[in-house]
Amino acid sequence: MSLGHYLLLGAGLFVIGLFGALTRRNVIGILMSIELMFNAANINLAACNSYLHPAGVAGMTLAIFVITVAAAEVVVGLALVLAVYRNSATAYVEDFSLLKG
Amino acid sequence: MIEAIAFYSMAAVALLGALLVVSLRNTVHSSLALGLSLAGVAGIFANLGADFLFAGQLLIYVGGIAIIIVFVVMLLGRTSDLHLRQVNQQWGAALLVCAMAGVSLWRLARGYLGVRAAAPAMPTTRAIGLLMLNDYAVPFELVTLVLVAALLGAIFFSRKSADDEVPS
Amino acid sequence: MLQHVYLIPLIPLAASLLILLGAKEDPRSPMPFLGIAATGWCLLQSIAIFYGAATGELSLPYGADWNWFSFGATAGGKPFLYDMPVGVLIDGSAAVMLVVVTLVSFLVQVYSLSYMRGDPRFKRYYAYLSFFTASMLGLVVSSNLLVTFSCWELVGFSSYLLIGFWFERPEPPYAAKKAFITTKLGDLGLYLALMLIFCQVGSFQIPQIREFVARGFMPAAVATAIGLGILCGAAGKSAQFPLFIWLPDAMEGPTPVSALIHAATMVAAGIYLVAKCYFIFAISPVAMETVAWIGAITALLAATMAVVSYDIKRVLAFSTVSQLGFMMCALGSWGFSAGLFHLTTHAAFKALLFLCAGSVIHAVHTNDMRQMGNLDKKMPITFFATLVGTFAIAGIPGFSGFFSKDMILERVFEHDPRLFVILAISACLTAFYMFRLVFMTFLGQERDLDRYLHAHESPWPMTVPLFVLMALAAFSGWLLDRGEIFTRLVNFQALPGIAPAHEAAHAPAYLTWYVTAFVFFAIYLAFRLYGGSNFREAESIKRRCAPVFNLLERRYYLDDIFLALVGLSDRAARLAFWIDSEVVDRFFVDGWGLLMLALARLCHLFDDNLIDRSVDATGGLSVSLGGTLRWIVRRGLVQEYLLWSAAVMSVLTLLTLPAQRYCLGASVGLGLLAILTLLLVRRPR
Repeated sequence: MSLGHYLLLGAGLFVIGLFGALTRRNVIGILMSIELMFNAANINLAACNSYLHPAGVAGMTLAIFVITVAAAEVVVGLALVLAVYRNSATAYVEDFSLLKG
Repeated sequence: MIEAIAFYSMAAVALLGALLVVSLRNTVHSSLALGLSLAGVAGIFANLGADFLFAGQLLIYVGGIAIIIVFVVMLLGRTSDLHLRQVNQQWGAALLVCAMAGVSLWRLARGYLGVRAAAPAMPTTRAIGLLMLNDYAVPFELVTLVLVAALLGAIFFSRKSADDEVPS
Repeated sequence: MLQHVYLIPLIPLAASLLILLGAKEDPRSPMPFLGIAATGWCLLQSIAIFYGAATGELSLPYGADWNWFSFGATAGGKPFLYDMPVGVLIDGSAAVMLVVVTLVSFLVQVYSLSYMRGDPRFKRYYAYLSFFTASMLGLVVSSNLLVTFSCWELVGFSSYLLIGFWFERPEPPYAAKKAFITTKLGDLGLYLALMLIFCQVGSFQIPQIREFVARGFMPAAVATAIGLGILCGAAGKSAQFPLFIWLPDAMEGPTPVSALIHAATMVAAGIYLVAKCYFIFAISPVAMETVAWIGAITALLAATMAVVSYDIKRVLAFSTVSQLGFMMCALGSWGFSAGLFHLTTHAAFKALLFLCAGSVIHAVHTNDMRQMGNLDKKMPITFFATLVGTFAIAGIPGFSGFFSKDMILERVFEHDPRLFVILAISACLTAFYMFRLVFMTFLGQERDLDRYLHAHESPWPMTVPLFVLMALAAFSGWLLDRGEIFTRLVNFQALPGIAPAHEAAHAPAYLTWYVTAFVFFAIYLAFRLYGGSNFREAESIKRRCAPVFNLLERRYYLDDIFLALVGLSDRAARLAFWIDSEVVDRFFVDGWGLLMLALARLCHLFDDNLIDRSVDATGGLSVSLGGTLRWIVRRGLVQEYLLWSAAVMSVLTLLTLPAQRYCLGASVGLGLLAILTLLLVRRPR
């Protein structure tokens, strides 16, 4: 397999995630789509590391950091969703328009 | 050959899962499909020879994040949601944007289709550990700080305040 | 005695400051005696020095210098350190001048005790007199030409103060200003001469300048320039030919002041300065000739003007100018000793005459001789003193003026007979107008009865100085000429290699007696015309020669010429001002400003309309774009924002790809996106 295949896989995953983030009405769905995009980026990092710099592991280390930060993001995001839901009894982003100009 | 089979099957699992995540109406199903997709990505990592990343993906994403999401979905779950559209009105526009992004990404990735692996994959765990505790020691520590902050933030936001005790 | 000679100018200065600052104005203030005492001390010192020098006990010249300051300068690329010492230099002429100045000052101060009694500014008058004495003595003793020049200006300043002493009246301030400005005109030349001297020699010390000249370092042309500059200053101060117009007007001051400043001392400062710098004139025949001719012309013109004046003080003023011309002419004819000898005797008899005039004016309260007459019985002492002074100035044998004038005439005859003729005529005129003064004032019949009855002999402070001066006027010439004391004491040590120009002819012995005969004839003429009680013959001559008399009474129109010159320069200044304000300012300065203003307006227009507009347009574009975008995403949905940012990001990514069609695709995609969004837009729930 070539690097291009992995990059294409990452691209596909990213586009799907982007589509989900743009279209899901549910906040949790959006969060999940963002996770998909993170994964696409991680695939790219790992693949480029393996193919272009096989001697080093910096790309994979960066992917580890991304996973960590993503975990933190998900935790905080879900906590926010819970808080918002508790206040407004909805999980749909159309209803979150308090900051509308 | 085996590598190709493994790649394509894992890629298929990841992409299929991803498609299910964005298309299923039921959020519970959607979150389960996310677990599937993340597992597929873990397989891709295994395929790349990134053993530590594979393990981390399985432990953190599939075993942690996906499960938390399922929990939250269940905490929020409402039966009426099953009858509502889960996709908003701008899906056409989003499709167009995604197409453009896809085209550009495809154009970019196409140039790397001929790049082959230079050497057989080696175990990476030891190297990653050394790197994290030597060169990346400061980012490592900062990430721990971020995690603590996220933990505290999560507790702060999800905690029930005194006012909410009273039913409205 | 000589090592403390620097105190001579300093003590009157201290007295002056003490009088001026240390006491209130009070008519009975004892402060004047302080000034008299200071001057008296100086007089004793001066007499001691003079006596010592005359008997040969003191060896002159004596010089002592103290360093004042030093300064560095670069000349021709080489650094030099210049010393500026200040010091005293006493030679024979300085010793004589010291006696002259202190003596006349002392006597005048004693005289003023009575003359100025009751004046509201009695104290200030004495302060000024002491200040003048200090300045004049400083001028005499200084070895530094710069200090001499400073004192020179200070005596001019004191003269200004004293001429304008009665400033409540209209004329004195005008006369003071005229004197000051006219002498300042001459000082300009002196100042230039001083600068030239410093450029040449690098020092203001007289011995050093003399050394420089003696070694032949100074070119004759430069010496001529310096000499003419000094002559210019001397002509201003000593009232020589074109600049003498101030002296007759200076008679507006108190009469003792006229005696001190405008007869005996200050006007002699110019003569003294020329004598002090005589070695510079010695190497320049041109400057020497100019000095001689200026002196001769002055002597003749002033004498003719004195003939027609009716103001007793004016007559004496013209006479002073004339006598100063004699001295100048003597100096210019290599008669160094003769000039200074005449200066000395003239100081005595002219001070005497002025003090007599003061006494008369004090008695009859008018300056006009036509209102006097027959005062000889009323004021016998004054009459006698005037007679002695007149004998002296007219050159009656035996009196002091005879000796000095004789010395001058001999010297001038040897130098140039033409000058001799002029001076001889002037001498006869001198005798004529002086006896005219005596006849009109003291003899004949009283013409104004009130004034005649009011007249009285002056009190002792006024008559005692008259006696002293009378003695001097009568005998000083004989005393100083005896054994040639004066010429031995005051002579010009000729520079090596430079002898007096030429000995044209040796004066014959009978020359003196020819001149004396003419003088007696002039006296007879004066008696014929003015001896009677009425001046019918004089008046008829005056009527017949009206244009000549008019010319003389208008002082050869010199005042008018000067006024015209001033008017001309005023016109020139006006023209220059007009050119400056109307042409230079308007066209160049204002025009340049207008040009700049136009350019600035242009820049402003450019800035306003192009630069600012484009800046505004950028901002406006952002605002309108933002407004449009805000309209597009006005539903406030987070996914819509996300959609647009994703769209822009993907478009930008597409645009980075190296192909034309992706640009097309990107724009088409963006357009489609916009249309789709517009279609999708609904009213928010």
